[in-house]
Amino acid sequence: MRMSVPLRRLRQAPRHLLVCEKSHARHARSRHAAHVRDHAYNCRVSFLIPECGTLPEVLKSTIADVGEYYLLRNLSLHELVTHEFIDTFVKKGSCHALTYNTKIDQDNTAALLPTGKLILSVDKDTYEELGLQGRPSQYSGKKVMRYIITIDLMDPSFHPDSKKHKRVLWALKEKKPLEFDFLLAWCNTGAEGSTLMSYFPKNQIQTLKPKITFSTLRDLQCPVLQSNELQGKPEESCSTEELFEWLGAVLNQVSLDNKSFSFLSTYCCPQPNTIVEQAFLCTITGFIIPEAIIQLLEKLCCYFDEPKLAHWLTLTVHGFADSPVSWRESEHGFHKGGENLYNFVVFRNLDYWLQMAVGTNDDCPP
Amino acid sequence: MAGFADLNLPAGPDKKGLQSLLEAAARLGYSAVALNHVIDFKEKKQEIVKPASPSELFPSLPIVQGTSKRIKVLNRLTLIVSDPSHCNLLRSTSANIRLYDIIAVFPKTEKLFHIACTTLDVDLVCINVTEKLPFYFRRPPVNVAIDRGIYFELLYTPAIKDSTMRRYTISNAISLMQICKGKNIVMSSAAERPLELRGPYDVANLGLLFGMSESEAKAAVSTNCRATLLHGETRKSACGVVYTVKKPRKVEEEETTLPACKKAKTQA
Repeated sequence: MRMSVPLRRLRQAPRHLLVCEKSHARHARSRHAAHVRDHAYNCRVSFLIPECGTLPEVLKSTIADVGEYYLLRNLSLHELVTHEFIDTFVKKGSCHALTYNTKIDQDNTAALLPTGKLILSVDKDTYEELGLQGRPSQYSGKKVMRYIITIDLMDPSFHPDSKKHKRVLWALKEKKPLEFDFLLAWCNTGAEGSTLMSYFPKNQIQTLKPKITFSTLRDLQCPVLQSNELQGKPEESCSTEELFEWLGAVLNQVSLDNKSFSFLSTYCCPQPNTIVEQAFLCTITGFIIPEAIIQLLEKLCCYFDEPKLAHWLTLTVHGFADSPVSWRESEHGFHKGGENLYNFVVFRNLDYWLQMAVGTNDDCPP
Repeated sequence: MAGFADLNLPAGPDKKGLQSLLEAAARLGYSAVALNHVIDFKEKKQEIVKPASPSELFPSLPIVQGTSKRIKVLNRLTLIVSDPSHCNLLRSTSANIRLYDIIAVFPKTEKLFHIACTTLDVDLVCINVTEKLPFYFRRPPVNVAIDRGIYFELLYTPAIKDSTMRRYTISNAISLMQICKGKNIVMSSAAERPLELRGPYDVANLGLLFGMSESEAKAAVSTNCRATLLHGETRKSACGVVYTVKKPRKVEEEETTLPACKKAKTQA
C-alpha cells in the first residue's frame, strides 16, 4: 500500500489544459478578435496553408508590415511609472512591455499590459523589501515564495500628486531599485508625438525586426477535418485533439511516417488523412503585438475569397514561456513547461476552430 | 520560487576542472552552487582549512543561461562522522568554521544520525546513497530535524555512475520519504566532472521517482536550497555578534561558554 504512492504519481502527467471553441469568422458575436487581443505577449506566429507553394499575394503586405519592436537594456522600473512616460505612451495607444532574460519561476519579472496595468511578479525577498501591496501567487503552495503586484497606471487616482504615486515611485526608485532588460512595442493610435526611439537614450535602445522564415513542405500527410465535427467522426474526420497533436508534430519537424528504425518518435498522422503535394509554412519570431495578428488573421480569411484547393489552414501563436500573464490578467507560471498558445483552424466556409492550450501553473483560458 | 542551486560540487585542487564545472552548471541554469570541502575523520587528523574566496579562485564567474546575472559560488563544509568525539569539532570555535556558508554532516551510525538531527548545529544532514543504510530512519529524530530547519541531502551522481548505487539511491530515498513525507529534502550532485551534472528540471523529475510530489520535487532544487542558505546565514550572524564582543585579554573559551542568544540580546 505504501509503495504504490510513488508509482501512482509517476503515472500522472503534469496538468495541462486544452480548450476548443468553434465559431464562424463573420458571425456578429464571434470572439476571435477579442481572444487574440487578450493575449498580449506573443513570441512566435506560424501559419500553415496546405496545397500552397508560395506566399499568397493577399498576405505579402501584411507580412512586410509586422511591426518592429525595441530592446531596452538596463531600464530602471521606476521610469515606466513616471507620468511623462504614462502620458506619452501608455495613454496614447497601446504599449506592451515585457522583461527579457528573466525566468518566471526564479527571478523577478515585470510586464506592462496595453490596458495600462503594470504587473510585477517578484520573489519573497524582493516583495518584502519593496513594500508595495500585492497578493501571493496562486501557484505558490503553503510556503509562499512568489507575489504578484499590480499597479494600474491609468487609474485616475494615480495622478502625480497622489499618495499612491508617491509611494510607488519611492518604492521603485529608492527602497529597492529594480533594473531589467525590456522588450517594448508601441502601437500608436495616430496621434503625433515622440517615438520610443527618441524618448530613451540612444545607447540603451535597439530596434529589432521580427525574424520571418518560409518553407514549403512536400508530400505532407494532412488530417481530414470537418468544420462541424469537433470530436471527429470515425472514418470521416479527425478530432481537434488529433489535429493539435499533428500540428505540433509538423511545426517541430517531427517525421510522421513511423519508420521502424526510428527511435525518436512513433507518431503517425491520424486517420483519415490525405497526402498533399505541398504545404506552405511561414514562421514569424519576435515580440509581436495582437493587432498585427488580427490583421494577419483577417488576411488569412480573405485567402478563401477565391476558390482554393485547401480545405483549411492553421494559424498558431505562441506566448512567452516567462511572461507573468497569459490571457488578460490570468497568472501564468512555469512548472516544467511554460506553454501558453492558441491555434486557429480556418475552413473554406470561414468556420473556425480556436484551440487554447496552457501548461501546469495556469488558469483556464477564457 | 527561488533560483535553482546545486549545493554539492566537490572542491578539488584542480582549478581548471572547477572552472569547467561552474560553466556547465551556469549553462544548465543553476544560479548558485556550493563548493564542498569534505573532512573525513577516519583518515589521520585533518585541519579545517580556510576556504579560498570565490573571487580569488575564479577571476570571472560565468553568467547563468537565460538571465543576465552571474552564478553565485558559496563554500560548504561536510564532516563525515563515525564517532561521537568527531562532533566536538563543531562545538569548538575554530575561526575557520565560521567562514563556510553551509555546514553539513554525514552520520555513519544511527546514534550519530540522532545526534545530528536533534542537537548538532548544522544545516544539512547527508543521506548515504552509495551503500545499504546500516540503520532505519525513525520518525522522532526526523521530525525534530524538520522543526529545527535542517534539510536532508540526497545525491544523484552516484546513481549515474553505477547501477548498484542506483538501486541503493532509490531504496534509501524512498525509505526516507516514507518517514519525512517529502519535506525538507535537498537534491544535489556530487559531480566531479561536467558530464555528471544534470539540469535542475531533470533533477526535479528524479525527485518524482523517489516519491515526492511535483511541487516538493521542484522545491528540493530551489526553495529548500535557499532555505538552507538562510539557515547557514543565521548561524553566521549569531556567532558574528559574539566575535564583536571579544576583548583582547579574555580567553576565547570563556566567551563562547555563554549561549549565543544571550549574547545577542545584550548587544542589540
